[in-house]
Amino acid sequence: MSKKPVKGEYIETDTGNKVSRRSQIIGTTNIILGGKTVIQAEVIIRGDLLRTYTSSNPGEKQGNPVAVAIGRYCFFSRGCELRPPGKLYKGQFSHYPLKIADHVFIGPGSIIEAALIGSHVNIGANCVVGKFAIIKDYVRILDGTVVPPNMVIPSFSIVAGRPGRVVGEIAEGEVDGMDLREVYREVRN
Amino acid sequence: MTSFTPYTYFQCPCTESSLPTHRLSDSSPPAENESSDDERTFDPRAPRANYSLYPLEHLFYCEDCHQIRCPRCVLDEIVTWYCPNCLFEVPSSTVKAEGNRCTRSCFQCPICIAPLSVSSVEAPPSGLGAEIATQSGPFVLNCGYCSWSSKEIGIQFEKPNGIFGQLAKVKNGGGPILTAKERRKDREDRKRDFSGSSVSEIREETPEIDVPREPLDPNEKLDAESQFSNLRAFYQSQLADASPVSALGFTGDYGYGSPGALSRIMGLYTGSTAFDKKAKSKSGAMREARDALEGLQITPSSDEEALVKLHAEGWHTTSSCSQRAEFPNSQAQFIDDLRPVAYLLRTKRSKRCKTCRHILSKPESKVQTTRFRIRLVALNYIPSISLKPLSPPTSSSSSSSLLQPMRPVQFLLTFKNPLFDSVKVTLATPTKTPGRFASKVTVLCPQFEVGANTDAWEEALRENGSRSSTSEKRRTKADFLEGQHQAEAGKVWERGRNWVSVVVEVVPASLSFQGPEFLKTEERRQGEGDKEVREDEDVLEIPVFVRVEWEADSAHDEAGGLGASKEKEGKEKRELAYWCVLGVGRIARD
Repeated sequence: MSKKPVKGEYIETDTGNKVSRRSQIIGTTNIILGGKTVIQAEVIIRGDLLRTYTSSNPGEKQGNPVAVAIGRYCFFSRGCELRPPGKLYKGQFSHYPLKIADHVFIGPGSIIEAALIGSHVNIGANCVVGKFAIIKDYVRILDGTVVPPNMVIPSFSIVAGRPGRVVGEIAEGEVDGMDLREVYREVRN
Repeated sequence: MTSFTPYTYFQCPCTESSLPTHRLSDSSPPAENESSDDERTFDPRAPRANYSLYPLEHLFYCEDCHQIRCPRCVLDEIVTWYCPNCLFEVPSSTVKAEGNRCTRSCFQCPICIAPLSVSSVEAPPSGLGAEIATQSGPFVLNCGYCSWSSKEIGIQFEKPNGIFGQLAKVKNGGGPILTAKERRKDREDRKRDFSGSSVSEIREETPEIDVPREPLDPNEKLDAESQFSNLRAFYQSQLADASPVSALGFTGDYGYGSPGALSRIMGLYTGSTAFDKKAKSKSGAMREARDALEGLQITPSSDEEALVKLHAEGWHTTSSCSQRAEFPNSQAQFIDDLRPVAYLLRTKRSKRCKTCRHILSKPESKVQTTRFRIRLVALNYIPSISLKPLSPPTSSSSSSSLLQPMRPVQFLLTFKNPLFDSVKVTLATPTKTPGRFASKVTVLCPQFEVGANTDAWEEALRENGSRSSTSEKRRTKADFLEGQHQAEAGKVWERGRNWVSVVVEVVPASLSFQGPEFLKTEERRQGEGDKEVREDEDVLEIPVFVRVEWEADSAHDEAGGLGASKEKEGKEKRELAYWCVLGVGRIARD
């Protein structure tokens, strides 16, 4: 775009990801970005926390191991951290992959250790999502919530509190507003 | 100061009928009194208003009534029951039989409500073949949030699955809970064992007799379930004794159908003489429960125990109100009386219009899918309204988030049309906002047309050209800064494909009670008594009456895709009118 190679805030990849130069992404080979995802400054993604426990069926292990898988149109605000959850299993400590689907917004300063985050999930600022939490589609987590480990949050929930509990339901009309395409378009260098 | 985000709430017309009565008692400005019905304004601060205002996202639109529907004027129907933790669907027959809790292994911590997970007490197997070996019990429930464990109340499980069934059989501390059937059997057995011997005799005899069961102790401490079953058994036997055995031989459980029982019940209400004597003669036979076997529990003894425990262990061992509320049937006074709470089931619900019973929203019945079969949300029928200040807030002024009293501010109201027909919008606002602090409001362009929405394909095309449109926007902004583009009365400020922005000018009221007399409104003179600014009274809210007119194809409603109805008559005029409330901002206090 510009004449001189002026360094902007974001590096844009072929698939349209916008990754801040000031973010810390560790273990890049173990991270999958679906495209059109925004990663703001000071975001930490721990791709190095790989699965060390060998899975029972060896046929599954092919190619690169994945620590963090992220879908399309996700937005990671300033200072949030994504780390794959880990636990002791049969006497062996291992991390497990963190999967994030599409249109997921994560607010500034939040720490995510979930096992799975579905589509159209909005996580507010300064939240903690505990280990192996499973968040289904269309969920809103309000600012400052602490989602306890192993919690399952069903679709169309609004979660708040410490520990987090379901405090409300997403209304039918709110579903459309959870699309993040517009947000992605507004991010410029 | 807390930040304030502008908001727009829509009023559902379902509460409209109740509003005028409220307004009548208010002394409205004399100008409005003349034609009371037409000039009736909506007061967003009226106590009732709170119940009828919703953000647009929460509203439905009934296509048959052509009216807005709010959560208060729809009917909910349960489509599916499911457990929010394991996401398993629970058939409604199971819900009826076993209650509205998950009967698998989903439990919440009784201390902090976080989910509990099952883990083994034993050390995990190690060494050769550890991967193949399965965890062996006993198992406990652990809370990952507050580290509570079911071990604290002395409960362990043999298997890691089917916890609900296992927990139902274990008391706190590890003792077994008898089912109703077992309890009855047990009681009968015990009665039979000790029949013929009086209570005192039993006491003496007990050390000698080596029976597997506990003796019948009249002061036995009972839990809620066994007390209930004892009481029930006692009253049933009393009823059976009192009522003569009918020809049909009905006694006991279903004895109410017997003529004897019926006549007694009738006698209770009618007081008729025929049965009266009979009843009187019987009354002596009925008595109350006398001891624990009959379900009598004398409470003070347990209170003394509780007091002793409190002395020994202190307040922190008592349960909180919210913790106790999970166990309505037992008095869980102490933390070690609490038990893991099975997850309450959640529902997927469809919604119907209360007036015409048409379905407004119907989700897919499967738990895992998030699609809707029918979803008539107001968002797709009513132009959305967004509000922002016209001049970009300059960073230099620190108090830019607050509105300065008596200084005109201009706001941009943007209407976005979701319909595929262009709509005519007419706005009306009271010149002064209702309430004690009346701000002046002027809509510079109260009548305009908003273009039709286009389908997704055109929007996709627009996506590429989005850059040019933003540059256009910037130009207008630049124009404004240069002073070329002035907000003109009667003219639309900005227009897009399916949106229109108009300017609203507001002169915020002063929040001080001093000041020249002519500035004071009627309401304010009345409210001279309390000179405090009440909570949120500094928020400037503008009631706006919005009337939307458009021409829709009526054929679309009546006869699906009939090609024959391609006439001019196919167009039908539609009109919708409703009140909105714009939350503009907080007024600075001086």
